[in-house]
Amino acid sequence: MTNTHLIQANGVNKVFPNGCHALKNVSLNINRGEVVVIIGPSGSGKSTFLRTLNQLESISAGDITIDGVDLTDKHTNINKVREEVGMVFQSFNLFPHKTALGNVMLAPVKVRRQAKAEAEQDARDLLYRVGLHDRIDSYPSRLSGGQQQRVAIARSLAMKPKVLLFDEPTSALDPEMVGEVLDVMKSLASDGMTMVVVTHEMGFAREVADRVVFMEDGELVFEETPERFFDSSHPRLQRFLGQVL
Amino acid sequence: MQTLSSRWVGHGLYLVIMAALISGVYIAGQKINYTWHWERLWPYVINTEAQDIVAISDGTAVIDAKGTLSIAPDFGGDPQIVSEYDQLVAREGDLIFQGDTIARIEGWRFGPIAEGLWVTIKLSCLALIFSIVLGVLFGLMRVAQGQVWRNLAVTYVEVIRGTPLLVQIFIVYFFIGTVFDLDRFTAGVAALSIFTGAYVAEIVRAGIQSVSPGQMEAARSLGMNYTQAMIYVVMPQALKRTLPPLAGQFINLIKDSSLVSVISITDLTKAGREVVSGSFAPFEVWFTVAGLYLLVTGVLSWAIQRLEKRLAASD
Ligand SMILES: Nc1ncnc2c1ncn2[C@@H]1O[C@H](COP(=O)(O)OP(=O)(O)O)[C@@H](O)[C@H]1O
Ligand SMILES: [Mg+2]
Repeated sequence: MTNTHLIQANGVNKVFPNGCHALKNVSLNINRGEVVVIIGPSGSGKSTFLRTLNQLESISAGDITIDGVDLTDKHTNINKVREEVGMVFQSFNLFPHKTALGNVMLAPVKVRRQAKAEAEQDARDLLYRVGLHDRIDSYPSRLSGGQQQRVAIARSLAMKPKVLLFDEPTSALDPEMVGEVLDVMKSLASDGMTMVVVTHEMGFAREVADRVVFMEDGELVFEETPERFFDSSHPRLQRFLGQVL
Repeated sequence: MQTLSSRWVGHGLYLVIMAALISGVYIAGQKINYTWHWERLWPYVINTEAQDIVAISDGTAVIDAKGTLSIAPDFGGDPQIVSEYDQLVAREGDLIFQGDTIARIEGWRFGPIAEGLWVTIKLSCLALIFSIVLGVLFGLMRVAQGQVWRNLAVTYVEVIRGTPLLVQIFIVYFFIGTVFDLDRFTAGVAALSIFTGAYVAEIVRAGIQSVSPGQMEAARSLGMNYTQAMIYVVMPQALKRTLPPLAGQFINLIKDSSLVSVISITDLTKAGREVVSGSFAPFEVWFTVAGLYLLVTGVLSWAIQRLEKRLAASD
């Protein structure tokens, strides 16, 4: 096994307790600094696959290795793994009882045991980076969807993760706010962040992705560079693209 | 929208209705030839009368140079020494019989109603603290991953909610109290805590489950373990939502505490019963007791409302 890949997923299967076979032999390797975009119809297992990468969902068969750590190994401390794998949710999931600053600082202070003053400075810098330096003391309920999602990205970045997972980060947003979130993601990508992004934003996939993956019915059907991906004549992909474009 | 004038009309109408109700009570009292003696009640709340100091055995009074009174018992034994008093009743050489007033002391002391109120407050505060501990513990067990914990918590909640508090008080006092040699007060606190804890557990469970699962997932995906996610993310949100039902439960606790009088704890209610037989002023006593309960529950709900307002900052 080579250690050049940051993430190695091999023959991953997921069967939910209700019998739903959500992932069927999914294998995917992701390099450091790579941006991989996953597209596919609703219910194809994109979210489930993403969630297996930080073990919010356990897997039924196969194995996943992140930065050399085997997630399926019983002795692996999953909390340690999650510190290195950030996740951004479709519904933001900001902590409503904390301000923007409080949201970003919480995990570094409680999990990484970082000094408060230092964590606060880092949090301010991160909120500046996502363009929210003037909303630092706002509670999530006072922020727009786009602003909330940018706080959520800053919150994930605060743990200095090795990889960031995005599950449809712009799907819950009003159209006029999609751009501001995608811009933040683009700048992260150009800074060399390893990212796995589930999205329906084909423009983002074309422009930013190093590789695009197509999933359907729990299977990883097809993966290619964006240029070849969107020019491909793969019949299942064509059917899907015909529906969304 | 209400106009200002209609609000004042409403307030005025309310005052009229309340006045009618109160005079109704007064008239009803007159109908049964009840004479109100509020002044009789006062000594039972705060007693400002001089207190009698009585002889504990038969003997002879001796007063020394410093004014210390001692009663030397006729049949031997240690003398009764009284050095602090305001007024001397016995004189040097008097023959004293057991129960005689030998001196008086001035100043005030709490009467049985005030003491009963204090017992009720102490009982309720202790039971409140322990019921929160029990409630949080079993509420967390109720949503825990392990089936054992969930089963245990369900059993506790169902058994306690399915049996009357009065019966629980008897069981705690006569069974558990005997096994562990508990005094009445401890048994009373235990019974009330266990009873209220079951309801608090249900409130805590509902509060935790009302927090969206996405909150736990977000916390876990930042590397927090289950306990950290509960403490820093889920519980603070749950707390805010559980405050209104908790307030109701704690007000019930204060009222339910009146039931411990069945195991002879002299709380406010029992004190009321005792004072009624001594003062012959039952209406005054029970209205006063009710008023004092209302005062305690009122202070509690005011305090919880304050807390709610403080926590509402993020809304
Ligand atoms: N917790 C669950 N229990 C049972 N089935 C689930 C659960 N989560 C997802 N599924 C099923 O797994 C399949 C894949 O879902 P998902 O990964 O959410 O798809 P996508 O994100 O591509 O829309 C769907 O058929 C869905 O119904
Ligand atoms: Mg999904």
